[in-house]
Amino acid sequence: MIQFAQVSKRYPNGQDALRNVDLEIASGEMAFLTGHSGAGKSTMLKLICLMERATSGQVIINGKNLNKVKRRKIPAVRRDIGMIFQDHRLLFDRSVFDNVALPLMIAGYDHREIGRRVRAALDKVGLLSKEKNTPIMLSGGEQQRVGIARAVVNKPPLLLADEPTGNLDPELSAEIMKLFEQFNQVGVSLLIASHDLSLLAKMHYRTLVMKEGRLVQDQTDQMFEDEALKVDTMSETSDHE
Amino acid sequence: MNSDSNSGASLNQGASVKNKLKMLLRLHKLEAKRGINEILDNPFSNFMTVLVIAIALALPAGLQILLDNGKSLSQSWDGASRISLYLKLDLEATQIEQVTSQVRQNLAIESVELIMPAQALNDFAERSGFADAISELDSNPLPATLIVQPKSTHSSPQASEILLAEFKQLEGVEKVQLDLDWVRKLYALLQLAEKAASALGLALGLAVLLIVGNTIRLSVQNRREEIEVVKLVGATDAFIRRPFLYTGFWYGFFAGTLCWIILEASLIWLQQPVANLAGLYQSEYSVNGLNLSQSAKLLLFSCGLGLLGSWLSVGRHIRQIEPR
Repeated sequence: MIQFAQVSKRYPNGQDALRNVDLEIASGEMAFLTGHSGAGKSTMLKLICLMERATSGQVIINGKNLNKVKRRKIPAVRRDIGMIFQDHRLLFDRSVFDNVALPLMIAGYDHREIGRRVRAALDKVGLLSKEKNTPIMLSGGEQQRVGIARAVVNKPPLLLADEPTGNLDPELSAEIMKLFEQFNQVGVSLLIASHDLSLLAKMHYRTLVMKEGRLVQDQTDQMFEDEALKVDTMSETSDHE
Repeated sequence: MNSDSNSGASLNQGASVKNKLKMLLRLHKLEAKRGINEILDNPFSNFMTVLVIAIALALPAGLQILLDNGKSLSQSWDGASRISLYLKLDLEATQIEQVTSQVRQNLAIESVELIMPAQALNDFAERSGFADAISELDSNPLPATLIVQPKSTHSSPQASEILLAEFKQLEGVEKVQLDLDWVRKLYALLQLAEKAASALGLALGLAVLLIVGNTIRLSVQNRREEIEVVKLVGATDAFIRRPFLYTGFWYGFFAGTLCWIILEASLIWLQQPVANLAGLYQSEYSVNGLNLSQSAKLLLFSCGLGLLGSWLSVGRHIRQIEPR
């Protein structure tokens, strides 16, 4: 599903965000990406959804080499990726329903189909009763769930989440993670960037640890050997790169 | 994909072509509505924009209406380029008859009307309101006049000149005058003014494009965050452009309507003075406003300008916004 081959990214200001990253995430897999801020987590997600381009190396998503995707074709790539953000990125001048319906409207679905799918997605995240509200009337946890409903409404094969629980208390975080697990159980691939180590420790999924633009650990259980990293990461809670 | 068939995880091919078209239509309706709301949400500042555009359109359009009126006026007189022959004061009635028949024999003449001195005096007394003063006169100061209508084949400026020279040489003719010489001059002047109006129209049309373009640019900047989000969930540039194009279109529509109202109101305001003026010339003339097809053209042109202005502006500015 996701393949990185010798990927490096240098920003125009000279900062090396990624250095020779090799990575493969299989289809249907759920993985966490962790590391302290500036380690390259966000850059990695940005390369996958073409918000940034790799300076060298190959990023292959769904068998598509992103180096060869022209500007005009970027929207088509993004439609196959559901994205979830720490700050939700909802449109506050529209109802919850319209926010979730956005990807379907863009893809040109029939309005009855849109109604059906949006309600199914809202039902999944437990917000069906709030479809007419505007996001501003919702709590942070509910807003995040609207963001998740929007990401999955189009049934993309891949979900990316950038610090999805960054602003939420542990209980709500656990709920969000449970949702992610449910999506994973029906075959969706997930890559979740998070430095909430206590949360990761409870979940037994593959965890990729980044440090200074390199992938330093890739393991399927949560035995963090790098104690220094642990301290680093715990000390920062709600920043985003 | 290992669980493609029974899961929600499938590649998105979107909907079928027919459904896509149906959805596109709905989207257009939605965006059109949203475009209007965008304008109505901020009525004061948007009304200013619309007013500026309307005035920019009303200036050349109003000038064009006046020119059209002037042209139709001068053209209706142009065909009737009559020649007046003022006969000498001391001619006897028989001599007048003689001159008249001489003029009649000219092959270039369509018709001749003879106005005897007494009749001319009566007419003058009637029209000028100096009846009392005129009745005090000892003798009639007015000459007999022949109003000559040349054939249409001989009404060109050169032919008229030749006729004029011929009549001048007739015995008993005091003075020959081409009545509507000034109409021709007016006509030439109008043609010049029309060129100037076109230039003005071009300049103001360009100004409208810039006004709309700039307004749309600000609107794009105001909705930067929204555009980023919509781009992140896979919107094409065309999708993002659409509401802004509609907003531009509505600017044009409202401005065109307002421009029409301004023009009609000005014409109503002008009607009374024009009627008074026309009355002085014994004419029923009234200013012609915009007919239906001209009104439609004005509106269409205005909508087109709004659309074009926003199209020129929106593509460039949307491309500059990329999600971060």
